[in-house]
Amino acid sequence: MNGNSTSSDWDGRYFHVDQILDKPGPRTDPSFLAGDGVKDFLRNQCKILVIGAGGLGCEILANLALSGFKDIHVIDMDTIDISNLNRQFLFRQKDVGKPKATVAAEFIMNRVPGVQVTPYYGKIQDKDEDYYMQFNLVVCGLDSVEARRWINATLVNMVDPENPESLKPLIDGGTEGFKGQARVILPTVSSCYECSLDMLNKPTAFPICTIANTPRLPEHCIEWASVLEWPRVFGDKKLDTDDPEHIGWLFNHALKRAKEFKIEGVTWSLTQGVVKNIIPAIASTNAIIAASCCNEAFKIATSSAAYLNNYFMLIGTDGVYSYTFEHEQRKDCPVCGGESLDISIKKDWTVERLIEMLVEKQDIQIKKPSLSTPTKQIYLQAPPQLEQATRPNLEKKVSELVEDGGDITVTAASLPFNLSLRIKYI
Amino acid sequence: MAQPDSQEIGDATTAVHSQPDSKTRRYDRQLRLWAASGQSALESSRTLVISASATSTSILKNLVLPGIGHFTLLDADAVSPADAGNNFFLNGYSSIGKNKAEEAVPLLTELNESVDGKAEVKPIDEVLQTDEGRNWVKSFSLVIAHNLSQDTLDTLSKLLWDGLGNPPLIVVRSAGFLADFFIQFHEQCIIEPHSETFPSLRLTRPFPALAEWANSTDYDKLDPTEHAHIPFPIILVKATEKWKAEHDGQLPKVYAEKQAFKAAIRDLQKKMDEENFDEAEAQAWRISGEVPVPSEIKSLFALTPLVPASSSSSTNGSSVSEQSNAAFHTLLQTLKLFVESPEGPGCLPLTSTLPDMHTDTESYVRLQRMYKEQAGKEAALFKKILKANFPDTPVDDGMVDLFVKNTHHVNVLRGKRWGAWEEDKSAVASSLESDPRETATHLALSALSNLQSKGIDVTADALRADILTRLPPNTELPEEMTNAVGELERSPTADVPNTAAFLGGMIAQEAIKMITKQYVPVKGYCVVDLVESWTGVVGA
Ligand SMILES: [Zn+2]
Repeated sequence: MNGNSTSSDWDGRYFHVDQILDKPGPRTDPSFLAGDGVKDFLRNQCKILVIGAGGLGCEILANLALSGFKDIHVIDMDTIDISNLNRQFLFRQKDVGKPKATVAAEFIMNRVPGVQVTPYYGKIQDKDEDYYMQFNLVVCGLDSVEARRWINATLVNMVDPENPESLKPLIDGGTEGFKGQARVILPTVSSCYECSLDMLNKPTAFPICTIANTPRLPEHCIEWASVLEWPRVFGDKKLDTDDPEHIGWLFNHALKRAKEFKIEGVTWSLTQGVVKNIIPAIASTNAIIAASCCNEAFKIATSSAAYLNNYFMLIGTDGVYSYTFEHEQRKDCPVCGGESLDISIKKDWTVERLIEMLVEKQDIQIKKPSLSTPTKQIYLQAPPQLEQATRPNLEKKVSELVEDGGDITVTAASLPFNLSLRIKYI
Repeated sequence: MAQPDSQEIGDATTAVHSQPDSKTRRYDRQLRLWAASGQSALESSRTLVISASATSTSILKNLVLPGIGHFTLLDADAVSPADAGNNFFLNGYSSIGKNKAEEAVPLLTELNESVDGKAEVKPIDEVLQTDEGRNWVKSFSLVIAHNLSQDTLDTLSKLLWDGLGNPPLIVVRSAGFLADFFIQFHEQCIIEPHSETFPSLRLTRPFPALAEWANSTDYDKLDPTEHAHIPFPIILVKATEKWKAEHDGQLPKVYAEKQAFKAAIRDLQKKMDEENFDEAEAQAWRISGEVPVPSEIKSLFALTPLVPASSSSSTNGSSVSEQSNAAFHTLLQTLKLFVESPEGPGCLPLTSTLPDMHTDTESYVRLQRMYKEQAGKEAALFKKILKANFPDTPVDDGMVDLFVKNTHHVNVLRGKRWGAWEEDKSAVASSLESDPRETATHLALSALSNLQSKGIDVTADALRADILTRLPPNTELPEEMTNAVGELERSPTADVPNTAAFLGGMIAQEAIKMITKQYVPVKGYCVVDLVESWTGVVGA
């Protein structure tokens, strides 16, 4: 046996995984290279990227390391908070305040010898296509829709039909309470994240008039404090939802308003939940979904068994219910579809009304969209001079600017794709 | 002027006036699911996990993190090179040769300093041989066993089945990409299932204050603003009364009637954009759904409390879980008396939670108060009936309140003994027809366990032969069996990291549900296939 106990593989180390890698099962693709070939690829060649080192990310890193991936990279822009410790099991009390990616990488390398984990403490948007091109697979455990849309669109854009290596399978997981989902996205080949945007729960948005005039729920009072009262009192000073003093201020003002309107139920915890849009999260659900993601990554990397086609959904609140199905690619998906999206609007709709719809529509959800036609700019959010120049168009009717059946291209700074709309008037 | 901090709001739930303590902050994301009551149930639980495999430590990780009270990890074996390679809660190479449980426990307890963990270096078979050992096993609140040999599992499951107060047993089996698990329990009384459906708003049998509000509302005398702010329950109560008066006291039943009922609501709208009327129309389905007692609750009234088996060897009186189940049945009987009581509303008690609706603050708060007051009255009647009929049964007041709040959704599950289902071969055969992949995988895992216990080589043929003994003569094995058997032949002893982690999450979810008595645990054998990534349930 090797004397160096912390950096080399010891005999029998992969006894469990090797049972899978040494021979095919009944549902294994004939292309599977059982034995040394597949082990060499997994342990010496395969390079995998993990996006997110939080609830799912910690689990993903541990599973990948134990499964035999040896070259793992991880990106996360967050630092560790005390409320992470009930599930993000690579972090301890003493780590609070430190970058998640760095602490997680160190922990894994200490616990699972011979695995290289390279952390990047920052945003996925900091990296370019060359960076993403170096990986064989990307596993994503994020809680942000925006970040997922960005990496999804980036990986779809990277696909070059001439170069099979440019297709990077994306495995994405997400959880909420006892529920979660895992999916496999083969960019351009199968349904992408953008294709299924309408499956997301609609975020609870309270109408401004309710908040301002007819509050009924404690949530309405809290929204009043954060959306209306904070800017009124503090002007441009940014609300920091991680600052207990700021939360305290909101809580006290929400409570005062609640009392005025005889509304019950404003608590510190609810205040924090509403302003930070907190989603309940537990270790066990993260473990299930992360395991499912890593299992798919392992099967794709090794061809040892068929992989998920393409969506696994789990609901653990009432017994164990899961649903595995193929989510279909949308032909009018702005990221992977190629066809324009047909939109029917009334003839008297203004540009502003159209923009409102683009922000709210479940399958579009583009914040701050800029609009143009092949020949002219309709409305641009930036730079300021162009915004100012196109602002008068907001009041104009869309039908004055675009003919029936005409195309509008929608772009947004936060998303690396163009949405092409075909406008029909009704 | 008074500081907002010192203001009184008159509701105990608003008592949190400043940033929570560090424990609450640590557990914030889970307290939003199971609240302080669930947390305290977890903290007083004691779990025994048998065998320190990768799957077992994954399960424990997901129970230590949310903060169970105590766990004991039992394993007499030394860490093998294979264990050191697939178990995250061992110190890799340097753990080889040392005791598995002793190596794993410190790495698990390190995850949460408020959890007490203990390693027990004993073979389970030896423990089960003495009275002392058996009583020790029974002293836990939950027992979890991974890949035990068949004989040991038989002894353990029989021991724990014999006595209503014994802990539930979660049996977990896995090999390669395949797994199943089963919870053996006599009875699980679920007081907070966290159902996502709203309880009845009592629209078809309005309580006096609600009826009075509806009666006194004259649509024609309201100004346009008031008209657009009548809460939808008031609109529906009025519409129901009117409909009943015109239809011999009957509610709208068939599709055409329901459409006519909705049309009548639409006709009341004075302006197109009165959202409260749109809402009333959208909520009109509630009218036909309102029954005095939903059938699921009615069936609970008919349950007879479990009687201890004649051979029960329980020596130390009734356990905590037995007492709490007994209290739950007392509450169920009280609920039945409440529904029948001439003093009561003739249906389940009112819940004070109202959905949000299009109305002004004043009307909403007024309606909310009304529901709260009535719910309070009915809760008081419930308590009166409880005291009058069960004067000798002490039920914790908090439990009574929780029960009354949840009467529309409470649930009782009755479980089975491990292995009982397989004794009925024809039931297994029909399950193999209706759910071939789940049943095939379950049977293949049973066959694997049997071959391994007997020291027989695991081949596809041996597995098939064993499976056939578990079915009626001449049963044809479906194609799905080839998949299951082939996978097990490929990796009969593999505890692969991803399967272990997947099960770690699944079993911990179920353990949390069993311990907190919140949410609904799975009944029957939950079967997992991580080749095609599906789960399913058989033998429920
Ligand atoms: Zn797409």
